[in-house]
Amino acid sequence: MKRGVLPPLVALAMLVATVPALAYLKLGTRIGSTTANLRWTNQPVRYFITDRGTTGVTSQQFQNAITASFAVWDAVEDADLSVNLTGLTQANPTTGDSMTVLGYQNRPDLDRVLGATNFIIDTTTGEILESDIFFNSSFPWSTDPAGVTGRHDVESIAVHEIGHLLGLGHSALGETEMIAGGRRVLGAESVMFPIAFAAGSIHDRTLKEDDIAGITDIYPSMQSRRTRGSISGKVTKDGAGVLGAHVVAFNTRTGAMVGGFSLNNDGGFTIAGLEPGTYTLRTEPLDDADVSSFFDSSLNIDVNFGVRFHDRVVVVAPGSGTRDVEVKVTPK
Amino acid sequence: MALRALVLSVICLLPSVLRATVLLPAEFREVVNGSDIIAYGRVIETRVEWSDDRKNVDTLVTFQVGTYLKGGPGDTLVFKVPGGTIGRFRNVLVGAPQFSSGDEAVLFLNSRGREFPSVFGLNQGVFRVSIDGDTRRRMVMPPLLARGDTPEVVVRGAASRRSLPLETFGAQVQTVLRENARGVR
Repeated sequence: MKRGVLPPLVALAMLVATVPALAYLKLGTRIGSTTANLRWTNQPVRYFITDRGTTGVTSQQFQNAITASFAVWDAVEDADLSVNLTGLTQANPTTGDSMTVLGYQNRPDLDRVLGATNFIIDTTTGEILESDIFFNSSFPWSTDPAGVTGRHDVESIAVHEIGHLLGLGHSALGETEMIAGGRRVLGAESVMFPIAFAAGSIHDRTLKEDDIAGITDIYPSMQSRRTRGSISGKVTKDGAGVLGAHVVAFNTRTGAMVGGFSLNNDGGFTIAGLEPGTYTLRTEPLDDADVSSFFDSSLNIDVNFGVRFHDRVVVVAPGSGTRDVEVKVTPK
Repeated sequence: MALRALVLSVICLLPSVLRATVLLPAEFREVVNGSDIIAYGRVIETRVEWSDDRKNVDTLVTFQVGTYLKGGPGDTLVFKVPGGTIGRFRNVLVGAPQFSSGDEAVLFLNSRGREFPSVFGLNQGVFRVSIDGDTRRRMVMPPLLARGDTPEVVVRGAASRRSLPLETFGAQVQTVLRENARGVR
């Protein structure tokens, strides 16, 4: 088929174009005039692994690391989720072949991208039909249990990318510093933080409470509906809603943090999947990152305000939501 | 069954619609020095194309340049970003910038011998320009710059993280370029 010659069905599809949207914690896709969370409705999630390693990582080591990374998510007790390794394949990831494939690809053009996740979605239903993850073999990799200095840990990156594959977006729960020659991650309270730790770190092999809350929110089990709760409200500035404010719920007993964003022009936010307890809320602008790592570029994200702590402790009860919390921020 | 076969036949011809990434971050001097082209201007057209192997979709963005800070191929330039919308499917690389006609930005691009340049570091080479509601001045978010050898924590919400006038941002870029020419780290 020549380039530019679209089959009639595709041409017809163009007439009913819909737009996927992104939201903090949960990826979304637009169906008509509504936005639906991106999630696997048919389980177990079946995946293939490309039967090919790369320099420093054998095919078997790669398979073991990927299987272990899926198991990390599968082990979340409060999430109703199951995954299944269907088999090995010679197919590459990122090809539209109706198979969910994870494997290496050499992408020197994506010179600062360690890995990436694709989806194919039926936008009339929001169903995920396929998702692929590639690991950029332009970088040095390792599967060593303790990590290897100078080599990126397959399992850490895989846990992050599989989080996307399951429907999670990026988290902003991370702190960085500037040093001569670069920006360094000091700490992250979520494996879904989009900036990588230094090569050799195995930090992201383990889920944090933010990740667990997110996956539980997408795939709630019957038990989690009874045992976990939520906080919702709005962020305002001079009486108007703030779009894109990062709201962090801090559990005063455990110290765990779970983040969310105000996602509409009214400044409305919801942080779900929370363990019961008392929380303090911190609201901050996303003024240290390209917002397109988190949001659709067309959104007018407000970053002109200072950090604000909510003046009251918020109580989350099992199986219920605390609503109408209003955080008032002021311009810088 | 027929419907499913129909859907799958489309899927086989269409690219993925969402992608997500883990990035290695660059300091601003690296962004400046690693770019072949640095330009302020406005997007005047976007066009979606299949990749050569027809397994991906890219968007070609035509940019009308107001000022070149580095390089300078002409009054307009065309660069490529991953993803785009074809039919009811949209190919998105999460973290990759998206552009619409009328968008203003300072762009840091590199070509590396490719037909079309691309944005430095996926999204790290885009500084969008907005109009201040009160002063009507063109403003840009400040870059993340290391100051000497002392580590400095990036603090969200800090007063120093205010938007800069476009001219001030341009002057910062020129300073880095001059430092680089003198061999200053």
